[in-house]
Amino acid sequence: MSGYEQAAETAAAETPAVAERRGRPGRRLGDMWWRHLVGLLAVGFSLFPVAYIVSAAFNSDPTLSGSSLIPRRVTLDNFRDLLSSQAKAGSTYSAANYVRWYENTLLVCSTAAVLMVLLSALAAYAFSRFRFRGRRLGMLALLLIQMFPSLLLVVAIYLILLQTGKVFPVIGLNTLTGLIIVYLGGAMGVNTWLMKGFFDTIPIELDESARVDGATPAQIFWGVVLPLALPVLAVIGLISFISTLNEFVFASVLLQDSDKFTLAVGLRGYIDQQYAEHWGPFAAGVLLAAIPVVVLFQVFQRWLVAGLTGGAVKG
Amino acid sequence: MSTSDAGGRTPSASPPGRAIVSRLIATFSGTVGLGVKILLLAVMNAVAVWAAAILAGDGKWIALGALIASTAAIDAVYLFSRRVIPLKFLVPGTLLLLAFQVTPIVYTVDVAFTNYSTGHLATKPEAIRAITQNTLEPPPGGKSYVMAPARDAGGALVLILRDEETGKAFAGTRKGLEPLAPGAVREQAGAIVAADGYTLVTGSELFTLDREIRSLLVPTEGSAAIRAEGLSTAIELQPTLRYDARANTFTRISNSLVFRDNRHGSFIAANGEELEPGWRTGVGFENFGRMLHDPLIRKPFLRVLTWTFAFAFLAVGLAFALGLFLAITLDKPGMRFQRFYRSLLIIPYAIPGFLSLLVWSGLLNDDFGVVNRLFHTSIPWLFDPWWAKASIILVSLWLTFPYFFLVCLGALQSIPAELTEAARVDGGGRLQIFRRVTLPLLMVAVAPLLIASFAFNFNNFNNIYFLTAGGPAATDQSVAGSTDILISYTYKIAFQAGKGQDYGLATSMAIAIFFIVGTISAVSFSRTKALENLQ
Repeated sequence: MSGYEQAAETAAAETPAVAERRGRPGRRLGDMWWRHLVGLLAVGFSLFPVAYIVSAAFNSDPTLSGSSLIPRRVTLDNFRDLLSSQAKAGSTYSAANYVRWYENTLLVCSTAAVLMVLLSALAAYAFSRFRFRGRRLGMLALLLIQMFPSLLLVVAIYLILLQTGKVFPVIGLNTLTGLIIVYLGGAMGVNTWLMKGFFDTIPIELDESARVDGATPAQIFWGVVLPLALPVLAVIGLISFISTLNEFVFASVLLQDSDKFTLAVGLRGYIDQQYAEHWGPFAAGVLLAAIPVVVLFQVFQRWLVAGLTGGAVKG
Repeated sequence: MSTSDAGGRTPSASPPGRAIVSRLIATFSGTVGLGVKILLLAVMNAVAVWAAAILAGDGKWIALGALIASTAAIDAVYLFSRRVIPLKFLVPGTLLLLAFQVTPIVYTVDVAFTNYSTGHLATKPEAIRAITQNTLEPPPGGKSYVMAPARDAGGALVLILRDEETGKAFAGTRKGLEPLAPGAVREQAGAIVAADGYTLVTGSELFTLDREIRSLLVPTEGSAAIRAEGLSTAIELQPTLRYDARANTFTRISNSLVFRDNRHGSFIAANGEELEPGWRTGVGFENFGRMLHDPLIRKPFLRVLTWTFAFAFLAVGLAFALGLFLAITLDKPGMRFQRFYRSLLIIPYAIPGFLSLLVWSGLLNDDFGVVNRLFHTSIPWLFDPWWAKASIILVSLWLTFPYFFLVCLGALQSIPAELTEAARVDGGGRLQIFRRVTLPLLMVAVAPLLIASFAFNFNNFNNIYFLTAGGPAATDQSVAGSTDILISYTYKIAFQAGKGQDYGLATSMAIAIFFIVGTISAVSFSRTKALENLQ
């Protein structure tokens, strides 16, 4: 079963199946109880850190030692501290910049994710639909380049941005645009492979009929292939968003001022400095940062399963 | 797959949202699309012209050449060429790839064959100059000067000097001594109070410039120099080493000890004495040899390598096992609350990893951490070598099992029920069906993801760095802590000061990692035949 068909089928066929399963609630609990037990244990394992963070965020005692599963007294003080505290002079990692970090992160991650998907889709389209010299070599090269531990490239990239910054201050060191461009360097890679695998499953007859109607390759790409690939684009976009969000080393080396930090750099520094005392505001910060992503995941849940396996499975 | 084909061929049959998007896209790819293309190209060319002007102004001709060539190539690809259509789709990503991945890789690989490290950062001429200056010493009974720091008309720092023996006055700069007219310098009680054409530095500014004043070395005849000593005197310094450019050696003047270039970026004497600093030079494959032969590196390297494999293997293996188990258990027709379980179980996967890791490091804190208080234990989760390893694997399991749960769920649901049904009709037992039918089919889908996940975890810097930062320290006194994996060990060697950075060694380790990961991936991918996709 192909990724494309799988995605379409999950989207189309799941609802009746689920409805049918729900329609038979009267089955004996006998052979089901242990499944529920396993399910509940697993849910407990995966949610207990989450529960502690939620509790710590609303707890009136902001210290680590004062945190508990059920808050002693529920307050919004931690959120207020986090969002309204004034920048203390000389404190790089003060929570006062949290809102700024949040904005930076949203800007960097969403721009990078959209452009990564676009660049990757463009390349995947070329690899999927055209036969040209160097195609196989190009795809292998993409895979090989990805395998070089990019962490060590940070010095070279620092030097490159130092130079470009002299000509274009916009993409120099300590700029978000510079960081985004650096991330885009990795746009073509595993994603291109995943997407190429998916594009391969879109019937080529569609392209041909469009071409007969006089469409150019660009029009076929924008008008036929992209709309059909929307689920996989969304999933890869989401994955790119998350991986950019989690990126720490490059952001910490390339960004220098507190008001340019991303959440990964800022929160890590914040908790590193005042560990046990600022657990409450930190928990509030984690909660505010995690919620949008968790919501996105729940929304894309259905496509996610197909997208994760889609590129890898074929035939 | 009739549903999908219908959805694909006739757009009207697809959901309304998609139709709108596709219509939007179709609109933008016609004349509007052409307009957008022209506009983008115009903007790009304008920026390129602007950059070219700046580069030409700075005299950076190589960069200018590269800029003109790439701009011309882009214009050619998008405007004139009908033959190279694939290039139109490949150019944007490839350019970024070249700039921010390939170029840095080339630079990094180049460094791996040098001794670039603390003490070997400069070029050879810089190192020779530094050695000469660092070894200057005041000779016994040398000259001394009455001195006052001052600024010349251009604001540059100079030393106003008066020779105590001859009484002649000079202005000393980095270039040398300039004689001043007799009477241009006035003194009071043995201190210079004014100099014609110069503004003396006085008061608090003296203290802020202290370091700058002390590092101002005024060369005089021979290789001697004058340096400030305190704020009102200066002394003459004489070289203690002589550099012979033809023989490429330093000779100590007092005892004729010869320091030779050891071809590894240092001058070393026969008795083993070394002049500092050294310089950066090519050392061939030496860094790679050190990983194998130098006991100070080999032992921690092997220890770290073993743990890296163990970590990557256990992290992926356990997460896959748990994910698969949960998928099989919860994917049971007729079972209620399936969606509920699924929605909650993917939450660890959805929470951005760096946040989870920071939270876990708090939960596992041995003094105040929740885990110890919950179970009334006092386990040093992050401060004992073995517990720290266990914690890292536990947290990795927590982070990754939902991914494999989702993947296995998807893969299981895509296995046609007829196959397992047929096996059951043929009399297969439950376990037998699972082992002979379900698992092989599942592995076709999941194996490439397992390999990719292994490769990812092999270099999973965040998990280590955010949780234990590689600690606790290992007993062998190495930079590598007991939970460091190769990539975090490499990171420490490259960037962590203290025991001295060794960028050359770090980059050669990065290349080693590249080959290890590459080999594992190539072997396992070829066994799963995933590369067959590549027609």
